[in-house]
Amino acid sequence: MKLEMENLTKRFQDVTAVDGISCTLTTGVYGLLGVNGAGKTTLMRMLCTLLRPTEGSITWEGKDIFRMDGEYRRILGYLPQDFGYYPDFTVRDYLMYIASIKGIRPAAAKKRVELLLKQVGLTKAENKKMKKLSGGMKRRAGIAQAMLNDPEILILDEPTAGLDPNERIRFRNLISELAQKRLVLLSTHIVSDIEYIANEIFLMKDGRICVSGTTEELAESMPERVWSVSVSREEVSSYTRVYKVSNIKTTQGCVKLRILSQDKPSADAVLESTTLEDVFLHYFGERAGEEDDLL
Amino acid sequence: MICYEIKKVFTGTKSRAALLLLTLIIGVMCWFAMNVAYVNETGEKETGPWAVARLRAAQKEWSGYLDEEKIRQVIAENKRICATPEAMSPDYRVTNIAYGWTQGIMEIRSLLNFSYAEEFRHYDYYLADSLAESQAGAFYANRTRLLQEWLEGDAKEQFSDKEKAWLIRQYETLDTPFYYDYMKGWVQLFQFSPTIIMITMLFLGYLVGGIFSSEFAWRADAVFYTSFYGRNRAVLAKVKAGVGIVTGIYWAAVLLYSGVVLGYLGVDGWNCPVQADFTGWKCFYHITVWQKYLLIVTGGYIGCLFMSGLCMYVSARFRSAVLAVMVPFVLIFLPSFVGSIKSPAVSKILGLLPDRLLQVGTAMGYFDLYTLGGKVTGAVPVLLVMYGILAMVLLPAVYYTGKRTE
Repeated sequence: MKLEMENLTKRFQDVTAVDGISCTLTTGVYGLLGVNGAGKTTLMRMLCTLLRPTEGSITWEGKDIFRMDGEYRRILGYLPQDFGYYPDFTVRDYLMYIASIKGIRPAAAKKRVELLLKQVGLTKAENKKMKKLSGGMKRRAGIAQAMLNDPEILILDEPTAGLDPNERIRFRNLISELAQKRLVLLSTHIVSDIEYIANEIFLMKDGRICVSGTTEELAESMPERVWSVSVSREEVSSYTRVYKVSNIKTTQGCVKLRILSQDKPSADAVLESTTLEDVFLHYFGERAGEEDDLL
Repeated sequence: MICYEIKKVFTGTKSRAALLLLTLIIGVMCWFAMNVAYVNETGEKETGPWAVARLRAAQKEWSGYLDEEKIRQVIAENKRICATPEAMSPDYRVTNIAYGWTQGIMEIRSLLNFSYAEEFRHYDYYLADSLAESQAGAFYANRTRLLQEWLEGDAKEQFSDKEKAWLIRQYETLDTPFYYDYMKGWVQLFQFSPTIIMITMLFLGYLVGGIFSSEFAWRADAVFYTSFYGRNRAVLAKVKAGVGIVTGIYWAAVLLYSGVVLGYLGVDGWNCPVQADFTGWKCFYHITVWQKYLLIVTGGYIGCLFMSGLCMYVSARFRSAVLAVMVPFVLIFLPSFVGSIKSPAVSKILGLLPDRLLQVGTAMGYFDLYTLGGKVTGAVPVLLVMYGILAMVLLPAVYYTGKRTE
């Protein structure tokens, strides 16, 4: 099970959305983390054969995925960022239809739909129209459709966007459950989504993967360390001007800052363990979350 | 897959409302077509099944071959009625009584007005009243004579010599005397059939226009095109669903309309030549009324299939239902605007536009001639063959456009 990208590039006129990415993915959960507009969606759409690369190649088990055509799509499950559905279909009808276009025979599809409805907790809502579902339920229907063909490659683009914390936790657990024995690529700009479930994380910036590894490896890749410092309110601005501050927490009488710095920022600063959020701040800095996800 | 594609179209409230509206319009059209009146012995107008039965009985009395003797009898009968005090009365209520007596010969009387007209394109409602029985022998000869005079006069520049000779030959070779029968059912059916077919087409455009574009409008395209059959059988299912919807709705609309109108007014006269009705007197096609009906519904089906195919193509190509829905509107209504340009060349082009397929009955009355491979023919066979082929070519084009979407 090997999905390889070689010098993968996608240009839209004068904008390079994905810029020469080369990497190999095997079984496990991969997290693709980047700010909005980093090129995550473009990369994922190429991996799903929705976009053809301008340069480079994508191969599955050594075969070009665009030449594999249906053979590749047979082993692919995709939940797009902008998940669309047929508003007047019931959940069951929707899944049965997707099963039909995934080439699953009706009898097998029926069983598979029953199983997935149960797994994603939509059994009670199976006769509800898709347009009547809540945001979380729609996403769950989305993951169910992606899993219908029991795919070897599962690509989830921003699956938790717009969900409330409960739904996000539930969704994360569901993905972990489904991730066994398959390749899962999960894109998000919400750090906590992949911190817990991804085996390997790719940080994507300006169309390139700037760094990859486990949470620990990414933390080690940072030249800076994480410090916590308690300061007075008046001192906060002087620290934010000099250091990257990943968190500001106001407590009684003082303010607790979480600072990224190579050197100890003050005598009473305490060394903290590095989280993925700190890594995110280090690599993406002030740009994090500022741009719309156009690409 | 096809069932789900059809379901996608009809699960929406708007599509269901469109179907309901189409059914209502067909109902209204049926009512118009069935609105046949009979003037009774007291000069009062009657409607309803009883009136239809009486009109049918009156016209049936005159059914048979329209030979010289029959024409003479019709002229004499008309003359007799015109000479009655009721016909000459200044009181319209009394003249209505006289009109009632003419209902049996009214259709043949109209043929007389055409046959004995001064010119090919003239029609004088009262001309038949001035005819003498001795003129009966010229009934069929007049038809050809007037055509010849028209071709040598007003239409001199409109046709080539070959086309003129072909037209005259068509007129001369019409099998005469032809059989006449009561045919109100067909006349009424033909009168409203273009409206029914055009309206059905507009609704079909609305229904199939979203088959491809709705995937994008609903943002369901990503899942669709990444599925196993997403770039082959699922796209084919869309094309098949489109054809299925067009076929199902078109034939349901046409057969419902035909069934109701003919069921009410009768199918009598099905085997008469189209020239036996005054609307077809000048027609140069040698076909019966039944054959005309078959050509109308077949032409309508091919036209709807072609226009719907074009709708689906636009829907797949531009991912816009609005653009797709506009296609039948443009194809149906644009020729009406261009038609005001009086030119033989424009007329020849207009004669081959797809809107003509939706009104084959009307197109049969036009003198649109085409010379293909040295042979002269009318527009109707050209339209049927040409758009039949184009519709067949268009469907694979829709498929390839639909599957290539990136």
